[in-house]
Amino acid sequence: MNELIKNLCERLASHAASKKPLTIHGGNTKAFYGGAIVGEALDMRAYSGIIEYEPKELVLTVRAGTTLAEIERVMDKENQMLPFEPPHFGEGATAFATIGGTVATGLSGPRRPYTGAVRDFVLGTRIINGRGEDLNFGGRVIKNVAGYDVSRLMTGAMGTLGVLLDCSFKVLPKPAREITLRYEMDEATAIQRMNEWAGRPLPLSATSWCDGVLMVRLSGAESGVKAAQEKLGGENVADKMAHDFWSGLRDHRAGFFSSSEPLWRLSVPSTTPALQLNMPQWMEWGGALRWVRGIAGVNTDITTLRVKVDAVGGHVTLFRNGDKSTGVFHPLQPVLGKIHRNLKTAFDPENILNRGRMDNI
Amino acid sequence: MLVTDTSNFIACLQRIQPPLNILTDVERLKPFETDAFISHRATPLCAVLPETESQVAEILKSCSRERVPVVTRGAGTGISGGAIPHDDGVLVVLTKLNKIANVDALARTATVGPGVRNLAVSDAAKPFRLFYAPDPSSQLICSIGGNVAENSGGVHCLKYGLTTHNVMRARVITSDGDVIEIGSRALDAAGYDLMAVMTGSEGMLGLITEITVKLVAEPEHIETMLAAFPSVTDAANAVGKIIGGGVIPAALEMMDKMVVEACEKVMSAGFPLDAEALLLIELDGVREEVAEQLARVETVLNECHAQEIRVAANAAEREKLWRARKGAFAALATIQPDYYTIDGTIPRRCLPEVLARYAELGREYGMTVANVFHAGDGNLHPCIFYDGTVPGEMERSEELGGKMLEICVEVGGTITGEHGVGIEKLKQMCVQFRPLELSAFHEIKAAFDPSGILNPGKGIPSLKRCSEWGGMHVRAGEIPRSDIPRF
Amino acid sequence: MQTNLADFIKDTPEGIEAESILRKCVHCGFCLATCPTYNLLGDELDSPRGRIYLMKQMLEGAPVTEKTMLHLDRCLTCRACETTCPSGVQYGRLVDIGREIVEQKVERSAIDKLKRAVLKKALPQTGLFKVGLAVGRAVKPLLPDALGKKITAKRDVGVWPAPCHARQMLVLQGCVQPAMAPSINAATARVLDKLGISLIVAPSAGCCGAIPHHLNDVHEAHVFIKRNIDAWWPFVEAGAEAIVVTASGCGTTVAEYGYLLRNDAHYAEKAKRISALYRDVSEIIAKEKNALAKLLAVQNKSKQKLAFHSPCSLQHGLKIKGVVEEILSAAGYELTNVPDGHLCCGSAGTYSLLQSELSQQLLANKVAALESGAPQMIATANIGCLAHIESGLDDSSKLPIRHWIELVDERLT
Repeated sequence: MNELIKNLCERLASHAASKKPLTIHGGNTKAFYGGAIVGEALDMRAYSGIIEYEPKELVLTVRAGTTLAEIERVMDKENQMLPFEPPHFGEGATAFATIGGTVATGLSGPRRPYTGAVRDFVLGTRIINGRGEDLNFGGRVIKNVAGYDVSRLMTGAMGTLGVLLDCSFKVLPKPAREITLRYEMDEATAIQRMNEWAGRPLPLSATSWCDGVLMVRLSGAESGVKAAQEKLGGENVADKMAHDFWSGLRDHRAGFFSSSEPLWRLSVPSTTPALQLNMPQWMEWGGALRWVRGIAGVNTDITTLRVKVDAVGGHVTLFRNGDKSTGVFHPLQPVLGKIHRNLKTAFDPENILNRGRMDNI
Repeated sequence: MLVTDTSNFIACLQRIQPPLNILTDVERLKPFETDAFISHRATPLCAVLPETESQVAEILKSCSRERVPVVTRGAGTGISGGAIPHDDGVLVVLTKLNKIANVDALARTATVGPGVRNLAVSDAAKPFRLFYAPDPSSQLICSIGGNVAENSGGVHCLKYGLTTHNVMRARVITSDGDVIEIGSRALDAAGYDLMAVMTGSEGMLGLITEITVKLVAEPEHIETMLAAFPSVTDAANAVGKIIGGGVIPAALEMMDKMVVEACEKVMSAGFPLDAEALLLIELDGVREEVAEQLARVETVLNECHAQEIRVAANAAEREKLWRARKGAFAALATIQPDYYTIDGTIPRRCLPEVLARYAELGREYGMTVANVFHAGDGNLHPCIFYDGTVPGEMERSEELGGKMLEICVEVGGTITGEHGVGIEKLKQMCVQFRPLELSAFHEIKAAFDPSGILNPGKGIPSLKRCSEWGGMHVRAGEIPRSDIPRF
Repeated sequence: MQTNLADFIKDTPEGIEAESILRKCVHCGFCLATCPTYNLLGDELDSPRGRIYLMKQMLEGAPVTEKTMLHLDRCLTCRACETTCPSGVQYGRLVDIGREIVEQKVERSAIDKLKRAVLKKALPQTGLFKVGLAVGRAVKPLLPDALGKKITAKRDVGVWPAPCHARQMLVLQGCVQPAMAPSINAATARVLDKLGISLIVAPSAGCCGAIPHHLNDVHEAHVFIKRNIDAWWPFVEAGAEAIVVTASGCGTTVAEYGYLLRNDAHYAEKAKRISALYRDVSEIIAKEKNALAKLLAVQNKSKQKLAFHSPCSLQHGLKIKGVVEEILSAAGYELTNVPDGHLCCGSAGTYSLLQSELSQQLLANKVAALESGAPQMIATANIGCLAHIESGLDDSSKLPIRHWIELVDERLT
């Protein structure tokens, strides 16, 4: 692996010298996400494997090219999990999502509002910056405030600040029991309920509302989950069905997501009232994440959408499909934009890493 | 200092509207010369106590124009010297920005000024049965702004996370005096995670004027237990076994005999005095789940030779135990007023080994070492006692502390888990990071603060100093990118 | 904190004590949290830690001006910081030393001097106070409005039982209290009488010495203290069990007689004895609680909601916590929750008259906190707090405020 790293460093340094862009990829399952891809491909799949996994420490260190499937297989044996429930988009016989892509995109699954996001569990990263320098930040311990928190800065930076090599995570034991409850209610009531329940000591682990149906997942010890279920009522969903439901939402395999229409990701304060967009919508994360789909044949007015979401203190991403020329990511306020560009230059002065992939900086 | 005319600069500050509280006389500046890291001191050019965000922005505009260093101070409870003033700089004290703007019970957030006390946030959230989770031992007084600057932890962060996990959004004044908002009331924000970079940045990237924090539901049920052990090793083993066994306690603290005696003497906490080590364990959650975990933890404790296990019978007993734990450091001062505390974090499995090596080092130096720390996080806080009236003793205690931190790095840990680098651990930064990484940190700082006026000389050592200290393997001419500004 | 005291103070008893107190302080800042003035002003200089630093500089010989004096003047000496301090720093003693020195080193303004002189003379003279408003009116232009409002309606004193019991205790009459609320000591005498104790007064005793002490006049304070000791001594020799004080503010001073006169060749021993005999009335009653319970058992009155304000002198100075509350509960009162119960009401001896702006803010906060639990009445344990809080109560819906012993007395009659 040392040889591989050395080669990667040299390759990046030579690209920096020639100012030629590189596009980093793993399983390519999230190639649809972000600005247009330019430049030569840098395939990270060969850099894979678990470096250290100490179940008793609740810490995992892996190479970026390791697939989520492999990590989950190993952790299953120890009855532990990546607490942020990462999505595995578009997996097939050949394409498997990697942990590097997970960290780079910073995308988390349905458990996110209740347990935390990728960035909450990243403890350390080893990266190669745009000059071809091999750097280590953070560590393998739960608490660490030495130096700026570069590992969290890398998370969700779309590979624009460095090529991820190794990542360390805090992991958690799997809950002993998960049950899912189903309710029928309108959007406003669902938003109210999800927020109220989140403010009570309940073992919530996921919530979803779509087409008048609220789904609530509870996780924890058998006794605790049962006790919460008694308090919350609702209709119990069979385990298999519940599992398919949540993984369908997490991995966007559910019908809602399979359309070729543009899919917008609206990240908003959880208590934001119904947005009245007249577009098909799926809400999760206790109301804080609202997936909105374009309607065939109708041009979505992206400016109006952004203004509306801006007004409630959120941001819009064109997640999949649609016209990327109007921008994928939410525009940044000018001073913030300047800081972003300064950071990009600090890590990648020649702009060779995933050039344009984060199109709002 | 860079400013050519001090009185002109002060006059500049005096023109700020509404009029600013400015201190320029030594008599009143001295009390600000240090924080809770009292071995170091500096008297600033002046101190200002703004009461509005616009005043803060104006102060920074003046400072960046004149290139005057700016050090920010909250309650002044930091123990790594992050808020110690700069001799030629302005000390911006944010304790007057102490209003709670709002508590949104439904959204479970509180928006507060940086000078609001940590515990005041939980007090304001209490009517809604919510609380602000990070609880550093100084939570009674430490400010939320300071918590963000240091990424403070506390006794409950094993389960509830550090400040970085509990802060959503901040209004920040940049070194140029611009107002920006980072993070979001939503669960993520567009662009890079600047909230993460700002958290723990020790006042080197911007001045925070408003913070939105996450509030969490008070647990339905809490059990706090105390377990006494005949040896430190037994207690350390129990820590690994509890967590390895799948129980994540809300808190898991350890203290050795010396700390127990000090707490008992000052606060009469009811700690057993015949034990070599105590664990303080808190479990919380749904009632039934806590009962299940309590039984599991008791089994582990017995397996690890606990000589006594006590479960707090009520809230008053629980509070008494925690009060004693949180007052432990100050209580230690009654044994000997001068001590030096460090903050390394190690993988939990190394606890018995590292504690034994610390004791050995203490003997080598002929200095007493007491331990009270966040065992569940592997976050160690050894207290090294010395006699400040003996010349050279303080320096020796710092040297011993430095060696202890190097052990942390050696076993795969870090030199600071929650106290920050400040000026205290600059030397050890050179051990933990290589020149390239330190350069990357300097470049991040420059991205936010191009003129380098914010808390210069703290947090990240210059490569030059590292090579002087010899802690870093820099050979002549190998200092990377010598063109970037170093502070 | 390490200190290096200047020669002028280094080897004096005050210097030695100040140094030992300063050495204990680790500058952790916990004391800021419960300091009333820091809570209002958000300025380190108006916090215990800031004041300790100001005093440290002064003791180390740094030039000192009216700035240090101002921040020391703003301290209420409520000693909430001592309750919070995890290192056991005796701030109250340090600030006494600091104030004495600042008084020597810094010249007060003429108006400030006059104000203080008037207060020092007027308040401790029970006679003057009784004749009342003549002096009040004369000094009014110099004093804040608060003083006028403080003169409360005199309650019916009732009977003081004749001393007939073998058990006898002395009571401190004090200065302000007998003029403003003579009913308090009379009520105490009646309650103790029912418990088999006769309460007696030494006619020539008077002000405990706290007022000159508050005004940094150590000499005058010692004169008062010695006068009291001389007045009490024959009774002490005759077997008085205790010296009972019904105003906790005065109590903290009597408790410190031994300390205050520790260097006085003639009085040190006697003062120590007096301090040892001193008891707050709540301590006496708490000891007799079984007897009291029997007396109360015959009563059958409906529960009344009551807000209790624990004076700083009681909870922080004397460290008596929860004792009065327990007695009141036993007497059939339902105590309401009072937020920030550790904070001072702003009375603090002469503070309300000298720092009226801060005092009024604290008063407003205290009244709001006391009223928040919708009580039917308020009780406290110190005449200063009583008068001060009463002046802050809204006239339209004025809640009655009493010394708690009067409420116990009422339940027994």
